[in-house]
Amino acid sequence: MKRISILMLLILSIVFTLSATELDGKQVMWEVYNRDSGDTMSANLIMTITNARGSTRERSIAQYRQNRNGVESKLMFFLSPSDVRNTSFLSFSYEDGRNDDQYIYLPALKRVKRIASDSKNDSFMGSDFTYDDMGSRHPDMDRHTVLRTETVNGLSALVVESIAQGAEDYPRTLSWVVDGQWFGLKKEFYLPDGSLGKTLTIDAFDKIDGIAVITDMTMHSHKQNTSTRIQMQDTEFNLEFDPNFFSERQMKIGPRR
Amino acid sequence: MNRRTIVFITLLATAMLLPLFAGEGVFSGMVRNYAAFRFSHADIPVHEITADVRFEYYGDMGKLTLHPVAYSSPNKSLELSLGEAYMDFYLPSTDIRVGMQNVIWGEAEGAFITDLVSPRDLRSFILADFTEIRKAVPAVKVDHYLGDYTLEAIWVSHFVPFSPPSEDSMWRQAANLPFPPAITATILEPTMPKSSLENSELFLSLSHFAPKLSWTLNGGYQWGDEPLVTSVTTTGATTRDIAQGYERYPFVGGSLNTPIASAVLRMEAALAIDKPMNSLDMSANPPITLEKHHQVQTLIGLDWNMFGAQWSTQYLMIYTHNHHDQLISQMKSIKEFAHTLTFRVQDTFLDERLTARLFTYVELDPANALFRPSLSYNLGDGVILEGGAEIFVGDEEGTFGSYQDNSLAFLALRWYF
Repeated sequence: MKRISILMLLILSIVFTLSATELDGKQVMWEVYNRDSGDTMSANLIMTITNARGSTRERSIAQYRQNRNGVESKLMFFLSPSDVRNTSFLSFSYEDGRNDDQYIYLPALKRVKRIASDSKNDSFMGSDFTYDDMGSRHPDMDRHTVLRTETVNGLSALVVESIAQGAEDYPRTLSWVVDGQWFGLKKEFYLPDGSLGKTLTIDAFDKIDGIAVITDMTMHSHKQNTSTRIQMQDTEFNLEFDPNFFSERQMKIGPRR
Repeated sequence: MNRRTIVFITLLATAMLLPLFAGEGVFSGMVRNYAAFRFSHADIPVHEITADVRFEYYGDMGKLTLHPVAYSSPNKSLELSLGEAYMDFYLPSTDIRVGMQNVIWGEAEGAFITDLVSPRDLRSFILADFTEIRKAVPAVKVDHYLGDYTLEAIWVSHFVPFSPPSEDSMWRQAANLPFPPAITATILEPTMPKSSLENSELFLSLSHFAPKLSWTLNGGYQWGDEPLVTSVTTTGATTRDIAQGYERYPFVGGSLNTPIASAVLRMEAALAIDKPMNSLDMSANPPITLEKHHQVQTLIGLDWNMFGAQWSTQYLMIYTHNHHDQLISQMKSIKEFAHTLTFRVQDTFLDERLTARLFTYVELDPANALFRPSLSYNLGDGVILEGGAEIFVGDEEGTFGSYQDNSLAFLALRWYF
């Protein structure tokens, strides 16, 4: 009896110790959400869209981002192709979950126009990424569970299942999150019928100014057999932006600072 | 040396000399081949090739923009114009733009309420691209930024009137002159205001850009873009000369946009103070006189997304104060209240390669409308194929119904470079 009690105590202590160091799904996704990504950032994006027949289209975008006082400001200038050159897009996303405020500047019309914002699930520039994919999804929008640990490209990754709280095009996702560094290596998006809709794979990442940055990623839509690759170049963090950089004025002037 | 040659040499010299100065230049533009088939006549009244070139030179002080446009139609001489030519100077809190420029104000789509700085090119009625329907004005525009506020002042040195359809254009409508058949009336070319400092135009605007609500207040003292009859002269027993000129008046107005849930609400209004108008009274001598009336234009619009498409609707109302039935504009009656609705729906398919669009104007009294469906397909490498129709229906006394015979289908191939 005494031997069994000591054994039970030993087992219980090991279990409690393990529980104290493991994070649950919600905690993992909050770590991902709060991961240091710099208060400001600028980068050039090259987006290559491949259709089912294998033909490609390329778009290049200069992107600027700022996080301040619970607001993420993003300003994008489309550099190519020629039919969208100098078009710019400005968005304000709010931590408190309010609808985004979005604006577009069409140089031919010389007018900044506010656009209806209920388009998180819409395709971004005709790509396989949605506006939601391009931003940071708030952890409270899903219920998260750590399913297991896997090794991906030599890195230990937690596989987290997220079930959306409301109606979504992809109500279930699986994310492979690097344990301790809190960035994703892969994400699978499942359709309401349970089938795999699309997969995001991270092809390359780097550390710039101490911040882990995804420099090459591909979203593959399985049903349409299309894919979009985004390469991030010339990334800089923690730049000083003029207080009025994310503004109508800058949308019209262009990416020159 | 003709004007076309002067413009061409100026552009060539500028492009050759500019690299001598520090900076970088970028050429871009669009070439369009457009043809229209008119249903009622089974003819092709329009076949036009447009070359729209933009040269932007970025220097340390700012930017130079040159925007020549050339139009070519079969059996017509080449039309070359310097659409825009201006320099931008970017100072710490102030932008200054000097030269021939388009200025676009307001929130309205397909309507011009406070958007009164640049006149309109109505040679194709209102069917020109929204990007081409305005004419540049020679101006100095100063924008001063104070946080989220922008104060804008525009001085237009020379008045530029609107462009009406040419005499032989299918969009030209014969004026219903108020004379018996025995009388021959000649409408003289409008007299332009003398180019002087006193006759220049001035516009001011104050705007606030904010996520919750963006608004603008603006006003100006300007010449009306369309000519008015200024006198009727009896030149003979059966002949009359109708003289035209331009009159000026002040206006004040404003606009705003704000999100409502996930939709966008837009509003705009303008008050034209003592706007000059013609009055037609056959029993009087002369039969056409000038009067002044206040006129209010208001618009409310809503944009929203639904079923993956973009939707938009607008209601526009024009009210003329102290109205009477003799008031006319371009020889057509002015109503006390004029009501117009617009409707737009737009969606993309095939990874945004295919864009389907429908824009509609509906005038309520008399009931008439213009339907503008179109499909455009992006072939890649900046090449876009577009097809569509302009369908005019309804009462022939209406703005759109009067063009029923001009309902047409069009095809256009554009190359952006």
